Amino acid sequence: MSASATAASAWTCPFCPLACDHAGVRVGAGAEPLQLTGAECARARDALAGFTSAAALPTAEIDGRCVTLDAAIDAAVQRLAASRQPLFAGLGTDVAGLRALYPLACATGAICDAAPGDALMHGLRALQDRGQFTTTLAEVRTRADLIVFVGGLPLPAAPLIRERMGIGDAQVPQRHVVLLGPKPSDEAVLQGWAGPGVTVEVLPLHGDLFDTVSLLDALVAGRPAMAGASVPDGLRSLAQRLRAARYAVISGSTAKLPEQGALIVETLYRTINELNRSTRAAALWIGGGNGVATANQVFAWLSGVPLRSRAGPRGLEHEPLRYGSLRLIAQGAVDALLWVASFDAEAAPPDNSLPMIALGHPALADRCRRDGSIFIAVSTPGIGSTGHVFRTDGTVLMPLRAARPDALPTVAAVAQRMLAALPARSAA
Amino acid sequence: MSAILIRGGRLIDPLNRIDAVRDVVVRDGRIAAPIPGENYAETIDATGCVVMAGGIDMHTHIGGGKVNLARLLMAEDHRDGANPIALPDNLLELASCGTCAPGTLATGYRYVEMGYTAAFEPAMVPSNARHAHMEMGDVPVLDHGAYVMLGSDELFLELLAQGGPDLKNFDQIRDYTAWTINASKAMGVKVVNPGGISAFKFNQRKLDVDEKHVRWEVTPRQVVHALARALKELGVPHPLHIHGSNLGVPGNIRSTLDTIAALEGLPAHLTHIQFHAYGTEGPKKFSSAALQIAEAVNANPQISIDIGQIMFGQTVTASGDTMRQHAQSDLANPRKWVGADIELMAGCGVVPFRYREQSYVNALQWVIGLEIFLLVKNPWQVVLTTDHPNGGPFTSYPHLIRLLMDRSFREEQLAKLHPDVVAGCALKSITRELTMEEIAVMTRSGPAKLLGLKDRGHLAEGAAADIAIYRERSDREAMFRTPEWVFKDGTLVAKSGTLLATPVGGTHFVEPGYDPAIEKTLRKHWKDHAAINFDNVAITHDELCSCCNGGRLLPAECFTGGEA
Repeated sequence: MSASATAASAWTCPFCPLACDHAGVRVGAGAEPLQLTGAECARARDALAGFTSAAALPTAEIDGRCVTLDAAIDAAVQRLAASRQPLFAGLGTDVAGLRALYPLACATGAICDAAPGDALMHGLRALQDRGQFTTTLAEVRTRADLIVFVGGLPLPAAPLIRERMGIGDAQVPQRHVVLLGPKPSDEAVLQGWAGPGVTVEVLPLHGDLFDTVSLLDALVAGRPAMAGASVPDGLRSLAQRLRAARYAVISGSTAKLPEQGALIVETLYRTINELNRSTRAAALWIGGGNGVATANQVFAWLSGVPLRSRAGPRGLEHEPLRYGSLRLIAQGAVDALLWVASFDAEAAPPDNSLPMIALGHPALADRCRRDGSIFIAVSTPGIGSTGHVFRTDGTVLMPLRAARPDALPTVAAVAQRMLAALPARSAA
Repeated sequence: MSAILIRGGRLIDPLNRIDAVRDVVVRDGRIAAPIPGENYAETIDATGCVVMAGGIDMHTHIGGGKVNLARLLMAEDHRDGANPIALPDNLLELASCGTCAPGTLATGYRYVEMGYTAAFEPAMVPSNARHAHMEMGDVPVLDHGAYVMLGSDELFLELLAQGGPDLKNFDQIRDYTAWTINASKAMGVKVVNPGGISAFKFNQRKLDVDEKHVRWEVTPRQVVHALARALKELGVPHPLHIHGSNLGVPGNIRSTLDTIAALEGLPAHLTHIQFHAYGTEGPKKFSSAALQIAEAVNANPQISIDIGQIMFGQTVTASGDTMRQHAQSDLANPRKWVGADIELMAGCGVVPFRYREQSYVNALQWVIGLEIFLLVKNPWQVVLTTDHPNGGPFTSYPHLIRLLMDRSFREEQLAKLHPDVVAGCALKSITRELTMEEIAVMTRSGPAKLLGLKDRGHLAEGAAADIAIYRERSDREAMFRTPEWVFKDGTLVAKSGTLLATPVGGTHFVEPGYDPAIEKTLRKHWKDHAAINFDNVAITHDELCSCCNGGRLLPAECFTGGEA
């Protein structure tokens, strides 16, 4: 009787909130792009195509001129030190990157926000006000006999959502999948999910999405005032289905919710709480990819407060609305931007004319190139370096293995060097 | 080689039976023998002080999924009314705030300022282990470790069901237990509402010790016994850590005594026992069963407990017990709560609570906790906890210590409570005041022993130089609030309540052996049911290192043969 945990490893895809680890990567030669193997996923395939098989060489630019990493870091530090109110945005990195960014944010008084921060705040504000009841992928896979997608399917954000929820596998003999508030492209996808053990249904909205979920909540709770003649049969029967399900799951993508989407999330949690008085139900939101959910978790555990916060002159301030990065940039409330996007080659910084430092995927160099911009190509966790990111359900922290290690600096390494070079500040 | 001399203090080292004025020498991070003629780099004049090993909190929710959910939920805990919490004055501290749901940084700072040098997260969900280790790695200074949750995971219940009444597959259960400890890098195993978290997922709303889980048809009695036996056979130093059935339910003393009986003499640690010591007597059908608990503990030396004392004021309860937290969610104050079903492994529930002196129930809970503290005879069987933050934040420990050491203070506080509780409680006639030595046992020596930490919790030569030096004061709360000096592995980390250094703490874990053949069963289970590749489940030493922020890895030895 002797062994210790084995060290086998599987590649985890860092490019969407599902963080799938059942596929592989083929590394070819030279300029040949990385290729996905063992699974078909458009998002992973396209993201991998943004990396060459031969590791990229470190690059850094100031105002579009190639410079050494040392020079770029020196200039970045000067820029941060000169800023009266910096903004750290994007935050597309792993736990290690965020652990290193937090002390830098404290030292500079930076406001921190992820991208897309609004989608994150829909969930966070609902949680802060009313709480939540959530579930995870394995629970959905093995228990959910009713899955209701609200406000569209979480596509193309999470291409393998059907597979990861187990829709169509034999873990649950019969599942019913409902799409509340369809879009034409979603409808066709949903019909394709029907098959042995899976029935599907599309329900139109009754008013807007908020009106619809409010009405559904009233129907589930059996509030008689709402049981007027104008209630569509489809919603009435959905309420009945929810009450009759053994384990109903409400899902969707917070990025697809309209402004004030927190109110929709809150209403759905009220419905879930009501259902849990007699049967079982839970929510699973699909989102928080590209390090967004990870950034929120890490900043919350270190400081106590989640994103859209700063260690400012008055103290630790958390402002879920005022500290939105687009709003701050539009209002001229910040005078420097540190943009972090190590996963997504499409995650260009928002339009701005601020002094900018971008720690980005190598492919972002073009879109960051302008006067007043410092660009440092950073390693992508899961491709060029190891790391950790949270999966969409917020409880599984996935290990990222390097598909093909590179020599690009990690966000953590750059942030640590910047902090070390920053002139010391006095205590508040 | 620079050494430190701590001179003239009253050394209280219960493990080595020392309570005497004695000098202590620190060299290379360890307690050392004095060398005649040695020049000390620093001499601490501890005259008038009590010198103890650093405090060890063996049950405190400091890191992991539900703790972070508590932080996200309790926005109120991270502001001062309409104002933000001021930044720290000390340049060594990064901005971090919160009292009942503090950031990991604040957690470390506040513990160290009170003389604690280690803390253990008691409810690490296997699928959340990396996250838990990350958070613990971000608790500065403190050494840490965690107990991994088993007993409500579907695979364990399935194996238990397959084993039948005589548990013919016990080897599999033991190997699975060992594998899980290794994979998650845990210090022990905790069972929470045995079988109940899973049962709630199947819509069962209560599970008594001899009640069958609707799906697997096994009982909490079977779960508790199988796990306790597995840990005993594996030689894991910390025995099964049990959060029993029916937490918070009036009359749950029956479940607690049944759980002790289910152990059939196997060692175990019953945690936050206060929440499991309720009778149904009296006009409100809610009464203290502290005496019965104390009698059971006194009669079973193989059992240890921690209290989970409640403290009045705002807190948040964060528990793996989804079933019971759901049942209590209507009592949430403020009125909101978080629940989750997790990965066929576990669950969690986070419910804010405000314990009030004028509430009959809360007042009685406070009384019950103190009664148990004072009625159990052997302090080595009792650990001082509030089950942070469930009974109250850990920063209330100095107040709790004063309640235990100072009868007149205790009576003053008792008089403020709901009058019916004051009139009827046994506490008012208990005269015992805990001694300094008993406090040292309950806050450091006892926990170290219960966890199998051979070089912690005492100050004999060779022990780690984790030291807290408190100025003797008749106000025990003030005394234990702010030690004069705190050393961590020989480094002065705090002086008079000011943090002086923030080294990264180490990670305690155990690595019991197992037959690797179990992995075939596990691999199949993961493929058929789970949502992660089996090859990504286990945390290696290298990965643990990065999770823990580069802190030292501190594997503890398992018992072998006669020791067990």
